[in-house]
Amino acid sequence: MHWKLFADLAEVAGDREVDVDVEADAPTVDDALSALLDAYPALEPRVLTDAGKLEPHLNLLKNGEQIGEPGLSTPVDEGDELALFPPVSGG
Amino acid sequence: MQTLCIVGEDCLSAAETLTDRLTTRREGRVATVDCTGSRPVDGAGLPDEGEFRVDGDGRWVGAGSDRSATELLDSLARRYDYALLAGVVHHRLPTVVLGDVETPPSTPIVETTPTAAELDPETILGRIDELDPYISLETLVDRAKASPMADRAGAIATFTGRVRAKDDPADARTERLTFEKYEGVAEQRLDAIRQDLTAREGVFEVLFHHRVGPIDDGEDIVFVVVLAGHRRQAFRAVEDGIDRLKDEVPIFKKESTTDGDFWLHER
Repeated sequence: MHWKLFADLAEVAGDREVDVDVEADAPTVDDALSALLDAYPALEPRVLTDAGKLEPHLNLLKNGEQIGEPGLSTPVDEGDELALFPPVSGG
Repeated sequence: MQTLCIVGEDCLSAAETLTDRLTTRREGRVATVDCTGSRPVDGAGLPDEGEFRVDGDGRWVGAGSDRSATELLDSLARRYDYALLAGVVHHRLPTVVLGDVETPPSTPIVETTPTAAELDPETILGRIDELDPYISLETLVDRAKASPMADRAGAIATFTGRVRAKDDPADARTERLTFEKYEGVAEQRLDAIRQDLTAREGVFEVLFHHRVGPIDDGEDIVFVVVLAGHRRQAFRAVEDGIDRLKDEVPIFKKESTTDGDFWLHER
């Protein structure tokens, strides 16, 4: 899966675009997020709460659609694009 | 309008070569801007008020000292399809570098060659239409006026967002904002907003343009233009358009102040 990171998340990771491999038979967004955090441990305190949940103010998109915390169980495959970013601040 | 800055030795002749190729190969109008200061008009230095001459082939030449490079681009953007600027670097405009010239880290570099002689004009011509276009408020207003619904439109409302140096006199000065966007998804979200607004009674055209990269204080960031039947419809749509852009479109802003840099969502 392909991750795109924006704003301070890209700065913390040191990369804007990341490809991750997931070993699971039926991979979910949660697996892809774990793979991302394994590859970039510095992201974990920024992305997860103390209880291990996705930070509520972060946006998590799959193929351009907002899925957020409830969407972590959504299946993903290799061609999917995932994105993680803080609240938008254009204009 | 597609823009290309060319800097380094012989940048003016490189710009002129590209202009010749563009005028013979492309439909659009081409402006060449000499920022090298090497060729004063009539040998008498640049006139304060600006000067225009037309040669025997109907081509005009202008010179003046009353506009910055970006102000000049604003005035060219309505009428020209291409602008080639020789001898100027800008932190946001696509640039060809000839030889060893320092450019700001954010400058989008299209091509670097050791000398002008090694620049292949065909490579540049092949890429120039893919570069980020230079769009001004007037560009969008012209597009709105070209609407097939223009006969029924009595109002154009526009919004321009710009970089505010200070919100309060005591604030640390904001020197620059730097924007990045989620390419593709940002355009989808803007398109959804456009569709919602143009579905309203009397709203005929809604146009957005948001610049990315570093933008200095006082410079324009975002434009929203609405063509509508009546003024109330235009005012409401332009307000809702910018409000929804700020809420929904994945664009991110980093602020650089005299006190330091920070992402806006961290504030």
